[in-house]
Amino acid sequence: MTSANPDLQLKHQPGHIKHDGHNLTGFIIFLCSESIIFLAFFTGFALLKITSPEWLPSGVDGLETKLPLINTVILVSSSFVAYFAERYLHKENLWGFRAMWLLTMAMGSYFVYGQYVEWSGLPFSLSSGVFGGTFYLLTGFHGLHVITGILLMGLMLFRSFRPNNYAKGEMGVTAVSLFWHFVDVIWIILYVLIYVWQRTT
Amino acid sequence: MTSTRRNPKKPLPIRLLVVILSATVVDAFLSFQVSRWAYGWLPVPASTAAPYVDDLFSLEVGIGAFVFIGCVGFIIWSILFSRAEKYDESDGLPIEGNTKLEITWTVIPFVIVMALAFYSIHVNEKLASLGPKQKYDVAVNQSPDAVATLDARRDVGPIEVISRQWSWEFVYPDGVRSSELHLPLNQRANFLLISEDVLHSFYIPAFRLKQDIIPGSVISYSITPTREGRFRLRDAMFSGAYFSKNQTDVIVESEQDYSDWLKATASRPLVQGLSPGTALYEKRLKDGDRGWATVPPAPPPMVNDPGNPDAPHDA
Amino acid sequence: MTTTNYDPRVLKAPHPVPGAPDNWKRFFSFNTDAKVIGIQYIGLALFFLLVGGLLAMVMRGELITPPADLVDPSVYNGLYTMHGTVMLFLFLFPVLNGFNNLLIPTMIGAPDMAFPKVNAAAFWLVPVFAVVLLSSFFVPGGPASSGWWSYPPVSIQNPLGHLINGEFLWILAVALSGVSSIMGAINFVTTIIRMRAPGMGFFRMPVFVWTAWAAQTLQLIGLPALTGGAIMLLFDLSFGTSFFRPEGGGDPVLYQHFFWFYSHPAVYVMVLPVFGIFSELITVYSRKPLFGYKFVALASFIITFLGLIVWVHHMFYTGTPQWMRNLVMITTMLIAVPTGVKVFAWLGTLWGAKIRLTTPMLFVLGGLVNFIFGGITGIMLGTVPIDIHVGNTYFVVAHFHYIIFNTIGFGIFAGIYHWFPKFTGRMYYEGLGKIHFTLTFIGATLNWLPLHWAGLYGMPRRVASYDPEFALWNVIASIGAFMLGVASIPFILNIVSSWARGAKASANPWRAIGLEWLLPSPPPAENFEDDIPTVISEPYGYGLGKPLVEDEEFYIRRSMEA
Repeated sequence: MTSANPDLQLKHQPGHIKHDGHNLTGFIIFLCSESIIFLAFFTGFALLKITSPEWLPSGVDGLETKLPLINTVILVSSSFVAYFAERYLHKENLWGFRAMWLLTMAMGSYFVYGQYVEWSGLPFSLSSGVFGGTFYLLTGFHGLHVITGILLMGLMLFRSFRPNNYAKGEMGVTAVSLFWHFVDVIWIILYVLIYVWQRTT
Repeated sequence: MTSTRRNPKKPLPIRLLVVILSATVVDAFLSFQVSRWAYGWLPVPASTAAPYVDDLFSLEVGIGAFVFIGCVGFIIWSILFSRAEKYDESDGLPIEGNTKLEITWTVIPFVIVMALAFYSIHVNEKLASLGPKQKYDVAVNQSPDAVATLDARRDVGPIEVISRQWSWEFVYPDGVRSSELHLPLNQRANFLLISEDVLHSFYIPAFRLKQDIIPGSVISYSITPTREGRFRLRDAMFSGAYFSKNQTDVIVESEQDYSDWLKATASRPLVQGLSPGTALYEKRLKDGDRGWATVPPAPPPMVNDPGNPDAPHDA
Repeated sequence: MTTTNYDPRVLKAPHPVPGAPDNWKRFFSFNTDAKVIGIQYIGLALFFLLVGGLLAMVMRGELITPPADLVDPSVYNGLYTMHGTVMLFLFLFPVLNGFNNLLIPTMIGAPDMAFPKVNAAAFWLVPVFAVVLLSSFFVPGGPASSGWWSYPPVSIQNPLGHLINGEFLWILAVALSGVSSIMGAINFVTTIIRMRAPGMGFFRMPVFVWTAWAAQTLQLIGLPALTGGAIMLLFDLSFGTSFFRPEGGGDPVLYQHFFWFYSHPAVYVMVLPVFGIFSELITVYSRKPLFGYKFVALASFIITFLGLIVWVHHMFYTGTPQWMRNLVMITTMLIAVPTGVKVFAWLGTLWGAKIRLTTPMLFVLGGLVNFIFGGITGIMLGTVPIDIHVGNTYFVVAHFHYIIFNTIGFGIFAGIYHWFPKFTGRMYYEGLGKIHFTLTFIGATLNWLPLHWAGLYGMPRRVASYDPEFALWNVIASIGAFMLGVASIPFILNIVSSWARGAKASANPWRAIGLEWLLPSPPPAENFEDDIPTVISEPYGYGLGKPLVEDEEFYIRRSMEA
């Protein structure tokens, strides 16, 4: 209404402010951006592997693949467990959600532990030429993301105990779940690049 | 998108077309003149590659001048003749666009830049045949000679060009070492570009040649000088504190003078070569090492001919 | 809303209350209003423009004579490195984020950004990484001194061997800057996609919003690559890895790919919003619709796409294979086409116009002339045989300053003057503005036009000393640079005194068409609040007689009453 002409008939329907629904869009855009940094590392890794005159440090013949394969299976399965947790939440079964969610966190933690075990048994370090540097950079950066995912999951778990947090909680769980799947896909690519495709010269 | 509303029976705006046409002719004439001047904006051409580069540059200057004069001329014309009167609050012509015109000014620039690109590829291939370049990665304990394949069509060389922080050293096939690069006229010279520490760049403006030197690799590169004289060789890739001083001269001389120089130099004793950073760094240390962090200069190369850094150069 | 009631409840409100005694405090707080954040970004950025400019004055003082007689060469290297870094990361990106914050919500009729708290956090990261970066002047060994590119191996030589050194702080600052920019980019893109007013389809958005969207998309795609390269550089510098060290099997050229994969699109991040500003201002000060609005809007995204596949043109002589150079030469040439579409559209908008040469319009036209020149030298640099001769010389320095300062800088000044009345509620002094323009145009031309010839004749860049034959060009350039330093005085005087005591600005002093001009000057906290207008026409309807929104009279009256 304007004081100049209070009888003026307005033709428009006032558009109201939309306050919600932006978080998931923003998070997906964030994940796309984050995937580029991994893509950059993967590309660098591949190029160095192909072109470096010396790849493996002296005394190193290659990487063991059995233990990492077990780790991979556990991490990939945890994505399915996280999916089941989401289904429980959608059906408003909070305890079912919490159980599956906790299991996902446990499997993720096992992965981190397995990574630590593998690292401590390796005969080369971060400064062992290009090979050492790229190996620890890629697996380390990925491991950081796994730990972040576990912490975020913990936060979601904690928030599930807050009364009436249901609607906002579901959005948060969707986002963290997406993040977990993302971390999973990155690992699969990593596993193929580092462990399956081994250069022996 | 609405185009200008035109009555199909409206006569062609003759005056406007005449003005545009004469402006275009004047523009083309001026641009052609500028493109000829452009040859004077480059150092004296001293290699077989130079004429091709200079012709391409002149062409782009001409096209650029045509676009610049045309566009800026139009802007100035608008500023002079399309100004609003002081108290005139009305709007301009309500033209939202003209699809035909927009397509035209998309297609014509596309054709021009693609033509330029393909002509440039042709020049590129020509330069590559006049002076082929090949980079070979060298492992830590490998000798560059073991890895690099030399230019089979060379007349002179391979001359090892060793760049350091902050000096140049030239090692000739018979073992002669020099701080200045001597080359015989009209003979294709093959270089092996080597860096002992960081990135450097082998830049001789008169030859229109620039090639970065990458540590951990050796680059085989050839060029044919076509003019006698003393030309500057400058390091063009930032390489640290005294980078601006990492310059020396290229002396192109007749074949006779060149072989005389080689013979005379071979018998000279090894002395410290040109390394301006060394003296500057010593002075800095004497003055209390004030200034920001820098690695100390590499020791000056030991050469037969330390050169004459104060001699005037041609380009 | 003007208020004479300094009721404590009003004073506690987070949004600016012009005229209230404590209003200035809001600009120093963690405030989530995009309009406050926008002014915070711009204010901070202009401060760093002066810092970067001061560094440039010392550099041009060194370069006015051939020998390195003003400062030690190692100091010169630190100065030019920090000049570039400060100008890019502390002036250019923040000032453009400031424009985004002020203009995106108001132009699309949104109350604020999608994520206001993230918005404020992204801003406050800027002073944090500014401190990190500038503290590097005081650590042993001085600041990073290998250029804003920081190419290894020279950048990782670390002569003094300390863990915390200038280069380390430089990498950290750049990484933090990346985090801040990505936070901003997510915000801007989400806002544009999800919060437009009813009736505003994509082809009813102002061109500035299109170009901001195109630019922020490039940030999202390119920045992570820079971050990746920066992390690898940091590891090489501090933790003994060999990604770029040949002795360990690494490849210095690989860094260049990482670096330029972001840093080339970065130049489009900087220039696209300025293209948007040009489009907005030319229509207002010509009183004409934008010629070919749809083509101009779409060209923004074509530039985005092409901008991602040309980075190797910064590496034509650094050891890339021939096929790569030929391919990139083609893609680089192609960018001239959508850019040309925009330039010709602006020229078309001038046809049959009613031009008013206000200060913003002077900067736009001057910037346009400079851009045409800079674009042409850009085509020359994209031609491999020419680039081999002029690459890494002052020809490149002249080209990119023609774009960064003579085009982008001019566009930023134009935008500041144009939207100053809207967001501060005050008019600036036109006379001082014209003086600022005159000094800036002459100074900028004197500074960079001669340097093209210095480069053509073979003067390398990043040098503290040079051969005497280049002296004349450098003397003229330094005079121009000092003139630019002086030109900042009328600008600062104008901004400060106009904001403090300039004439009150009406809601639409330029009689412009756009949603932001239907708001009071300055707009209230949530812009249109709960009565967002419905857009019913394309933008820039000058002379077409159509209202922009439903019930336009109502919104105009409302903006004038506040």
